[in-house]
Amino acid sequence: MHLITALTIATFTTPEKIGVTPLATLWLLPLAASIAVVYKATKVKRVRAADFFKESVVLFASIVVFMVITALVLLALTWIVT
Amino acid sequence: MASRSKDKNLAFLLVVGLSAWLIPGAGHFILREKARAIIIFVAIALTFTVGLYVGSIGVVNPVEGKLAYAAQIMNSPMVTVLGRVTVNNHYSVFGKPNEIGQIYTSIAGLLNLLCIVNAVYMAHLQKAQPRGA
Repeated sequence: MHLITALTIATFTTPEKIGVTPLATLWLLPLAASIAVVYKATKVKRVRAADFFKESVVLFASIVVFMVITALVLLALTWIVT
Repeated sequence: MASRSKDKNLAFLLVVGLSAWLIPGAGHFILREKARAIIIFVAIALTFTVGLYVGSIGVVNPVEGKLAYAAQIMNSPMVTVLGRVTVNNHYSVFGKPNEIGQIYTSIAGLLNLLCIVNAVYMAHLQKAQPRGA
């Protein structure tokens, strides 16, 4: 029991190893999902599983699409400038 | 009479707001919005926990990360306990894990702020238009 507690605490006292790689941008996905779910939880009139899931997925997809568009625009800008 | 009712209403709004701050989703739970409360609690607690897992508790730093700390504290006043543990820089974290951890925990706090405001607004509406009216 003590070992489990110690291991659990240890995972929260040492940071994970995350490199500065293009793959690290994928960390935006869980965050976007969380934002979509919480925002929709405050917005929908009644929480019904199917509707709520659909609306959250649509918001999640739109956040990701606009992030990709923003990234492409910034990439194009840097390509033009440099 | 009207003044007493207004005071009662204000106290209720305060209770809802403080509960929502103390435990994410508790404000909605008081308003009998159980599904909403569970969704909010799970999403915010999970986001905050992922942030702590990635960056360690060192991402909650009231000295070197004041701006992020201001957002993190919106998760719950219990974040101050973490702040006290990490204030001596024994859990310093740098680079990408620090960045991602701070973003996750701060966004979780700001999402809870949104939920606090929403819960208070819903409580106000419920008082103005009682259920079944």
